[in-house]
Amino acid sequence: MSQPAAIHLSGVSKRYGRTLAVDDVSLSVAHGEVFGFLGPNGAGKSTIVKMVLGLTYPTAGEIEVLGQPVGSLAARAEVGYLPETFRFHDWLTASELLHFHARLARVSADVRSRRVRELLELVGLKDRANDRISTFSKGMMQRVGLAQALVGEPRLVILDEPTSALDPIGRRDVRDRIRELGECGVTVFLNSHLLSEVEQVCDRVAIIDHGSIVAEGKLDELLNAQEIELRAGEGAEAAARETLGEGGVRHINGRLRVRVANDDETARLIRRMIEAGVPVYDVRQVGDSLEDLFVRVAERGDV
Amino acid sequence: MSTHLIAFFTLREALRRRVVLAAALLTLGYLVLYGVGVWFGYRDLQETQGGPPGLTEGVVSLMLVGGLWSLNFIASVLAVFLSVGALSGEVDQGTLHAIAARPVRRSEIVFGKFVGFTLMLAVFIGVSASLMILIVAVITGEVVGASWSGPFLMLLAAMLLIGLALAGSSRLSALPNGVIVFTLYATALIGGVIEQIGDVLESAVMFNIGVFSSVLVPTRAMWDMASAQLATGGFAGELSAGPFGASNPPSGWMLLIAALHLALTLGFAVRAFERRDF
Ligand SMILES: Nc1ncnc2c1ncn2[C@@H]1O[C@H](COP(=O)(O)OP(=O)(O)OP(=O)(O)O)[C@@H](O)[C@H]1O
Ligand SMILES: [Mg+2]
Repeated sequence: MSQPAAIHLSGVSKRYGRTLAVDDVSLSVAHGEVFGFLGPNGAGKSTIVKMVLGLTYPTAGEIEVLGQPVGSLAARAEVGYLPETFRFHDWLTASELLHFHARLARVSADVRSRRVRELLELVGLKDRANDRISTFSKGMMQRVGLAQALVGEPRLVILDEPTSALDPIGRRDVRDRIRELGECGVTVFLNSHLLSEVEQVCDRVAIIDHGSIVAEGKLDELLNAQEIELRAGEGAEAAARETLGEGGVRHINGRLRVRVANDDETARLIRRMIEAGVPVYDVRQVGDSLEDLFVRVAERGDV
Repeated sequence: MSTHLIAFFTLREALRRRVVLAAALLTLGYLVLYGVGVWFGYRDLQETQGGPPGLTEGVVSLMLVGGLWSLNFIASVLAVFLSVGALSGEVDQGTLHAIAARPVRRSEIVFGKFVGFTLMLAVFIGVSASLMILIVAVITGEVVGASWSGPFLMLLAAMLLIGLALAGSSRLSALPNGVIVFTLYATALIGGVIEQIGDVLESAVMFNIGVFSSVLVPTRAMWDMASAQLATGGFAGELSAGPFGASNPPSGWMLLIAALHLALTLGFAVRAFERRDF
């Protein structure tokens, strides 16, 4: 059958003293997938990432990475990681840091220098290659961190808020880079609360809140047709309320906005209107924005 | 195996951060001062008429032991300062996250750092002790203390402190760890003094407290063995007791205890660090 998932968590929990940071999370990320992991501050995103890397130990549950038990050296050799804090030994130069990580990642000596040079160019630090990291701005440190994550040609890249310190151009570069990785078959696990970023690059997302996953799926499915917008004649509103109940029906800019659960419900509503002799001029699906979804989930704790 | 990468990295960090440079400059200054002291001391000694036979050799040897005692102290402080924040300090700062996520065992991080710090201390003790022996030999014409065992025992003392500091650092952050390690170090020092007093007063309790403290932290015992090796002549042996050494040097068993101590602290450091969350 298909190969094992790139990341697989089953029933993972993490307790810090009295705080339950992660609560019984099960999750699979397929090979080659660009996976977005969203959630408000303190939701447990970084904790999950650190458990996947074997930096932190789960209180309960099982984790597999690239088909190996979490923390195994073989799996780690193929993982690249950009930590949330992106703090590195700042007495090193950018080039030295990358060389060091290339060695740790077991990159063979004959390609190391070329790889380091290419990556520094990629993240826009070619001119600063031989400057110490202590002289870098925050954004430059994050760029070095990104290059560091990619230096071992990983099959799985785990980025914990990779653009938090970047300027708009840097953000776009990172987005492009993530897309490229995805196209090359690299699995990307992206922690973020930058919704537009996730919206633009991720195949699938999960939203986590208070340590539990509250929504998961393909982005377009999650955002799909939560509402439809109608331009219709007299009696449309009454028909909608009759079909779908009182809630979720309102007027916006002279149009009728109706919340529907799925496509069947939309079809039922339109049939009903036509049966009632209500002229329907225009119907369109209004995609929920990820932000709406995020806020709704974070506020209510469900979709 | 990545131990050597971490060890090399640790060495390079100390060099780059000017820790070594600062220590080297200070030690050089100290050696110059020491040389001046020995020169005047030796001149006065030669003007003294009479005295028991072997006085010159004894005093010269005492001057060397005193000098090495301060080098030993500097080495101890250096060992503790280098390693108190080596593990937890770096986890707290976040600088170890990306490294520990690489195909590197936690034990390799601990051993790598241990090896790195030990090499640094070996160079420090080797160079400064050799220079000191050379200074004394050139000024006085007496070659004393020219053996490997003294500096080796000094290094062993420093390694014990590194092991202790790494064990604490596997869980504690730099400041509380530093306080604990220095307290233990002071306990060993004071324990040595109590042991001597107990010996003089023939108080078994005091003597045993002293012995217990050297088993708990054998750094002082290492120095006592070193000074006994360095002090030549029966007369010097007696003179060098007091602040710089024990009147009766520890038995060879102490070496075994030191080795066990090191194995225990490093073993604890590895186990505790392997289990900690980042
Ligand atoms: N080392 C720790 N000790 C105690 N509690 C911790 C520790 N690390 C995380 N927590 C707690 O676990 C919860 C989840 O934290 P985590 O860092 O995973 O959140 P996050 O989703 O990454 O948030 P952010 O978006 O702010 O980065 C929080 O309540 C936090 O206080
Ligand atoms: Mg986080």
